[in-house]
Amino acid sequence: MEFTALFLATTIVMLVAWRGPRPLAAGLFAAVLIACVATYLHHATDTLKLSF
Amino acid sequence: MTQTRAIMLNALGLYAVALVLAAAFAAQFVLHELPCPLCLLQRILFTTLAVGPIMNIRFGPRPSHYAMSLLAAVAGAVASTRQVLLHIMPGDAGYGSALLGNHYYTWALIGFIAAIVLIAAVLLFDRQFEDDRVVLPATGGAFAQTAVWLVIALTAANVVTTLLECGFGACADNPLVYELLKRAA
Repeated sequence: MEFTALFLATTIVMLVAWRGPRPLAAGLFAAVLIACVATYLHHATDTLKLSF
Repeated sequence: MTQTRAIMLNALGLYAVALVLAAAFAAQFVLHELPCPLCLLQRILFTTLAVGPIMNIRFGPRPSHYAMSLLAAVAGAVASTRQVLLHIMPGDAGYGSALLGNHYYTWALIGFIAAIVLIAAVLLFDRQFEDDRVVLPATGGAFAQTAVWLVIALTAANVVTTLLECGFGACADNPLVYELLKRAA
C-alpha cells in the first residue's frame, strides 16, 4: 500500500511542478523523497533471507 | 549551453525516464514478472528523478532543480545497490530474468549512476542559468510538453498497477499474482 501511495504522491508532485507554484512543488518533492528514504530504511531493517 | 538547449536536454532526460518506466512495464506485462517491493521503490525513485527536469522546463534551468534530481538519483543508487548486494553471492540466481546479462536492478544502478554523472556534466555549463533572451513557449514547446505528460501518464499508470499488485496491504516479498484481481476472482 505504501508504494501505491508513493506513486500517487509523485504523480501529484509532478502535476504541481507543471501547473502549480514552485515553492509548493519543491516542498512536496522533499516530503516524497523523505518518505522514499523512510520506506527504504523500513525495508532495509527487515530480517533478510540471505543466500549465504 | 544556452537556456534553450538546456531545456531540450531536460526534455530528452524525461524521455529517458519514460523509456525506463515503459521497459519496466514491458517486463511486467510481457514476461509476467511482478516487481518486488525494492523494485517498486527503484521505479518510484526513477519517477522522482523526473521532477527536476519538469521544473527546469516550466520555470527555466536552476541549480536547485538539478540538485533535486541528484538527490533522487543518489537515493535510487542506494536502493539498487542494496538489491545487487542481496544477490551478489556466487550461485544466487538473482530476482527475475536478466536483460543482456544483467538483472533489472543492476541496470537500475547503472541508470542512476549515469544520471548522477550526466546531471553533474550539465551543471558545468553556467550560461544556461542566464536569460538568453530567446522567447520560449510558456512550457518549452510541444517536444517538452509531450515528454512531461508522457512521464506523468506512466507514473499515474504505476499507481493503478501497484494497487492491483499489492492491494490494500503490504506488498509480497516475492509477488506472483495481482492481489486485487485474485480477490475479485
